[in-house]
Amino acid sequence: MLEIDAVFAGYGRVPVLHGVSLRAAPGEMVTLVGANGAGKSTLLKVAAGVLAPQSGRVLLAGEDVTRVPSHRRVGTGIVLVPEGRMLFAGMSVAENLTLGAYLRTGAAARRAVESDRERVFDLFPVLADRLEQPAGTLSGGEQQMLAIGRALMADPKVLLLDEPSLGLAPKVIGEIFSVLDRLRGSGLTMVLVEQDARLALKHADRGYVMRTGEVVLEGSSAELLANDDVRLIYLGAWHGTE
Amino acid sequence: MAAVPATRTLRWALAAIAGGLVLAAPFVVTDKYLLRILTFVGINLIMVAGLSLLFGYAGQISLGHAAFYGLGAYTSGFLAKLGVAWPLALVAGVAAAALGGLLLALPSLRLKGHYLAMATLGFGEIMLFFFTETEVITGGSNGLRGIPPAGLGPLVADTPQTKYLLVWAVACVVLLLAANVVRRRPGRALRAIHGSEMAAQACGIDTVRMKVQVFVISAALGGLSGVLYAHYVGFISPSTFTLHYSLVLVTMVALGGMGSLAGAVAGTVLLTMLPYADAIIPGLSRATVELLQDWESDIHGMVLILVMLFMPGGLAGWGRSFLARISVRRARSAGGDA
Repeated sequence: MLEIDAVFAGYGRVPVLHGVSLRAAPGEMVTLVGANGAGKSTLLKVAAGVLAPQSGRVLLAGEDVTRVPSHRRVGTGIVLVPEGRMLFAGMSVAENLTLGAYLRTGAAARRAVESDRERVFDLFPVLADRLEQPAGTLSGGEQQMLAIGRALMADPKVLLLDEPSLGLAPKVIGEIFSVLDRLRGSGLTMVLVEQDARLALKHADRGYVMRTGEVVLEGSSAELLANDDVRLIYLGAWHGTE
Repeated sequence: MAAVPATRTLRWALAAIAGGLVLAAPFVVTDKYLLRILTFVGINLIMVAGLSLLFGYAGQISLGHAAFYGLGAYTSGFLAKLGVAWPLALVAGVAAAALGGLLLALPSLRLKGHYLAMATLGFGEIMLFFFTETEVITGGSNGLRGIPPAGLGPLVADTPQTKYLLVWAVACVVLLLAANVVRRRPGRALRAIHGSEMAAQACGIDTVRMKVQVFVISAALGGLSGVLYAHYVGFISPSTFTLHYSLVLVTMVALGGMGSLAGAVAGTVLLTMLPYADAIIPGLSRATVELLQDWESDIHGMVLILVMLFMPGGLAGWGRSFLARISVRRARSAGGDA
């Protein structure tokens, strides 16, 4: 579904990614794990079109979307749930969701948008109770739910999630990941960037281990969880299991 | 939740009352002085409606809006003096301001916050210099005299009443259009850009295009306002199109409250009428009026500082918390009855 091919990218003259490739099959959840600064979020930004790569390609269902700007990439079906949630804090929950479906206009889309709204409320019932509340007044967990809900309103083919567990309590993280499991069950392709490698590998089908801008290891989640290097470096006790 | 239809009814009622008052004013008000001030309120409202979209909704500050006001006024005034029919002069004035807005927006909307403020401020100063120096067109610092009143063929707005009605007809149309824009998809997109540009892009909003569009619309409304001003007063000079005026406009939006058109309207009415308070408060002493006029700039500055410090939500923020309190009280008393 999503294919990232030998991407070099960076900020200004600072190179971050050195020829990274990644592939997510339809309905697959793949995760990127690695230490801070390994380039996980940068790769996600390239996939979302927020950052243009210096070289390499991004393909969606075989089609080259490398040069499609970020706001139009949403229309192709690649949707980002940004790190730190980036909600429209002063706007209500309902308006945030409506903005998620910004590109889906016209009479034909209206019914689909409405059913997607219902699906979001089904996944995150708490949002339905908070419709008129400004997004900035939600709890951290609710905000993350809204950020995911807003992205789902765009009818994604590939959902890019940047650190959805950041700053949340374990119980809330559990809730959010169980929703991600449901989404995977419904056939949505997902790329998950996650600081907590153990958590990510528990839920994803496959994983990529990144270090200083390169993929150093890839494999099924089970393989990676069993790999001695991964266990030592990324799943070590000092890494914190909460 | 029950408060939503209540506020909506209230909003419509207020709009209807305001509309009625606006329409009735020239027939009821015999005081030419008051009518003149009310006409200025209308002119400023058109200007501030545009600035509210740009600054209040999209969060893009402009400290150079007086330049668009001037572009509209000088273009239309100059052409009308050459004998060009007013509607054409009007279109040209608005187009000139819109073009100026586009030329400024394309390079400078890459800038944010303070940098955008500085770029627009610079633009305002350059245009002020231009208005003063291109004497052939603008009459330099002596100004442009004898601009004919607005009109189309035999219909000429040359009495205080007809001038008032023309200005307010335009102002009402502009406000209705703006109110429609902010409640719908484009308004949401503007507020989204204000909230977070990256998140707005992640929702599929073409932020660059939106920002350029709103800037051009805002500049065009500034030009429209300037055209009406030039043909209303009949004389324009560079002293009108200064940084001070740009700052007053920003103060009006800020006093009203960011992201509220109704607030911006309230802020405009209040600040425009303040130096002429004697027109509506009959017993006001001459000394007080003089004080208000002499200290006008200082008062604007103080208002801006006080709003930023103590009521960042502006008048609209006050209004909202007032309505919220009412609905809470109503909900409580309803609960008590049951």
